[in-house]
Amino acid sequence: MREKIKKTGLLLSLLVFFLSSASWLLAGGDLLIKNATILTVTGNTIPNGDVLVINGVIKQIGQNLTAPAGVRIIEANGRYLMPGIIDTHTHIALSGTNEGTDAITPEVTMAEVVNADDTSIFTALSGGVTMVHTMHGSANVIGGTNVVLKLKWGKPSEELIVKEAYPTLKFALGENVKQSNRTLLPGRPQRYPATRMGANALIRSELMRAKDYMAAWDHYEQLKKSKNPPANLLPPRKDLRLETLADLLRGKLIARCHAYVAPEMIEFLNLSREFGFKIGAFEHAWEAYKITNELKAAGVGISVFIDSWAYKMEAAEGIAYNAAYCTQKGLLVSINSDSGERIRRLFNEAGKSVKYGLTQDEALKLITINAAKQLGVDRLVGSIEVGKQADLALFSQHPMSAYTRCEMTIIEGDVYFDREALLKERAAASTKKGGLS
Amino acid sequence: MNKYLKKMQSAFVRPVAMVFLIIVMVVMASSLVSSAEAGSQAVKPAYALVNCRIFPVAQPVIEKGTIVIRDGLIEAVGPAEKVQIPEDAEIIEANGLNAYPGLISAHTNLFLETKEQSQTAAPEDYLAAFSQPTEPKELPWLQIVEKVKPKKQTVEAYHRIGITTVVVAPHEGIFQGQGVVLNLNSDQVNEMVLAQPWALHINFTTERGVYPSSPMGTLAFLRQKFFDTQHYSQHLQRYRQSPQFLKRPEYDPFLEALLPFVIDKKPIVFQCNNLEEIKRAVKLIKEFKLNAVLTGCNEAWRVSQQLKSASIPLLVTLDFRPPASSVYAQQGQATREKAEKEIYPANASNLAKEKINFSLTSFGLNDTNFVKNLRAAIKAGLPADQALRALTIEPARTLGLDKQLGSLEPGKIANLILTKGELFDEKTSIVKVMVDGTLFTYEEKGQ
Repeated sequence: MREKIKKTGLLLSLLVFFLSSASWLLAGGDLLIKNATILTVTGNTIPNGDVLVINGVIKQIGQNLTAPAGVRIIEANGRYLMPGIIDTHTHIALSGTNEGTDAITPEVTMAEVVNADDTSIFTALSGGVTMVHTMHGSANVIGGTNVVLKLKWGKPSEELIVKEAYPTLKFALGENVKQSNRTLLPGRPQRYPATRMGANALIRSELMRAKDYMAAWDHYEQLKKSKNPPANLLPPRKDLRLETLADLLRGKLIARCHAYVAPEMIEFLNLSREFGFKIGAFEHAWEAYKITNELKAAGVGISVFIDSWAYKMEAAEGIAYNAAYCTQKGLLVSINSDSGERIRRLFNEAGKSVKYGLTQDEALKLITINAAKQLGVDRLVGSIEVGKQADLALFSQHPMSAYTRCEMTIIEGDVYFDREALLKERAAASTKKGGLS
Repeated sequence: MNKYLKKMQSAFVRPVAMVFLIIVMVVMASSLVSSAEAGSQAVKPAYALVNCRIFPVAQPVIEKGTIVIRDGLIEAVGPAEKVQIPEDAEIIEANGLNAYPGLISAHTNLFLETKEQSQTAAPEDYLAAFSQPTEPKELPWLQIVEKVKPKKQTVEAYHRIGITTVVVAPHEGIFQGQGVVLNLNSDQVNEMVLAQPWALHINFTTERGVYPSSPMGTLAFLRQKFFDTQHYSQHLQRYRQSPQFLKRPEYDPFLEALLPFVIDKKPIVFQCNNLEEIKRAVKLIKEFKLNAVLTGCNEAWRVSQQLKSASIPLLVTLDFRPPASSVYAQQGQATREKAEKEIYPANASNLAKEKINFSLTSFGLNDTNFVKNLRAAIKAGLPADQALRALTIEPARTLGLDKQLGSLEPGKIANLILTKGELFDEKTSIVKVMVDGTLFTYEEKGQ
């Protein structure tokens, strides 16, 4: 383990070294990948196929393709090419996770605190991940708005943001927001809410406040436009907290709700019906298998772990069959990491679902096209198709095999992780006196 | 003779002498009173610094020149043959010495009680510590001039590194309060003040336990306060115009304190501790059309293109420690130390290459580290003349004091330093310092 940490440290140090030279990062967005086993995800698998990428977009898929002059050719030698992995729930590449001082903080925006220097980005790239939905934490009943990033390591933060993705707002229910696993400090009051009923009531009351807020503004705009506006007409106070909730009610934001147990998910579905807002997915959703009919009727998917259940009371009835079973019942399921470490082995996590009843093709979808659909970017990424962005990962063996490893990660035709090149650089650096220079 | 004198004493001299004595005593007493009350307003002597090499900053170097100082101001600067030495001036022979304008550090926390000192004694048991209420430290109305406690020792230490003017900024909370510009002429605050208040200081800090406690919470909090100030101002104005049939706005001391800065566009200083904070500040400044200055900025070179187009004055610290969020700080001590030694010192020279104007500050550094790091920045490629400008005329402009400070020109405040050797050289020592025309003489190092 210690050796591993040392190695990772050296790997990352090397990266800083590369950032200064950076020539290998700027491949220019044109590539020809030859002789790969292409796992297209949405179509058939193509053995010995070629993929031509021009300006970061997949131009051609076929056999015996030729590259225009000057385009870099990557020889895959039959290795497996899959769409870049998409993590639908993580907290990497951010300067903060929770604004934990209040149970209701929709005014905070994760897109404003992206930290492109976070080395977890590189860790993720080493596992074939090209896109993440990086979120506010689950400390609050209503957290903040989340952001979708492409892991363009070395680029400035603003270039990572995927503007085409759904704008989403984090909700959370259960033990984290009740703070039931915290030691209460003497003299400090328990934060409201302390129960699941409380969380539900709080969301309802906040959304009702947002409705009043919208009405106040509507009333003001109406008066302003009227023929004889009152002499002393003043606009209402702009409240960023309620502005965000108003956007949710107007359908401009989609809820992503951290929930574990079936009843709290049912409650939240009821709230969404009552107030007319849209739910993108339930996060973790350990008991989703109990309510597949209800979720399917509501058209709500889930973003889950594969098999790390029972780590707290509300996860006690989680089962490793959850993802597979819900997929078979017709729900849109994705596997997430929720971690800067697990993120580099999401392909292993998805692979485990084969044991629990999915085919390899179905398992692959959990971390590619399904995730893209949940984030609203399936027309851009999530599969290998002509016209889609060239976010790709090359694996030594089938990515759902336990023996595979990621060899290369590509975003929009630029190589951001190249295991072979990195090992060579590492060897070169270690022969120099003092390692790095 | 004796007889005659005695006669005179008794008949004439004695009353005259008495009157004379009384007059002398009254004059002495009144002069004592006036010097005690008026402080720097008392007339100061005239000096003529002769035969020195002058670096006026605004003009080319004068190889052998004279500087005349009268009553705290520069009366004349020029080549020896062109400047007449006034008869009443005390001549200071400065042959072999270099004269520079006094340096300005436009961001310090000098003369303030540190956090450790201000903490009250620890409660007897730890439970009591937890039960103490956590008060938010948001004090936009705070005038740091009221908290400043100058110490002679510190003033001297700063003279010895050439600094004659400092901004003292508050250092707690997000809306930290309002800073002051001080001339290091003594240890009497009122005599020292050059500009008060100078600006509102904002820091993207996150204090645990109180809202906001995260970077994104801090941004939302700042934005909400700016919107609230706009709304408050709108309501106040309307109420002043026509108070009838309009409910009065509730008095809000927080927003009152922000009005001059958010509405009347007095300067706001944003402390930017890493490159992302620079971007966040620039975004807020544009959004609310603020008149702002960025301070800290030791990763400014990483956002040079954005800074170039934004043209916001920069106060760049010579603190080279990589911020915790930086890629250079996340990979162990060796990488961090390497970055501190080799990458961050080149910040200023990189900005200079991009033709971005900036001032240098001693923010986060003590006097020894300031000199050490200044030399490191020059070694990393910053031209010495640009370093001098970044510590004189540039900060004077940013502080709106370029008519009084920042160069050796007639009419400006007599803040200057005399050195043996060129200012930033390793072996150079500062032998004389003049602040507001008050002369301080220091022994050379090692003597």
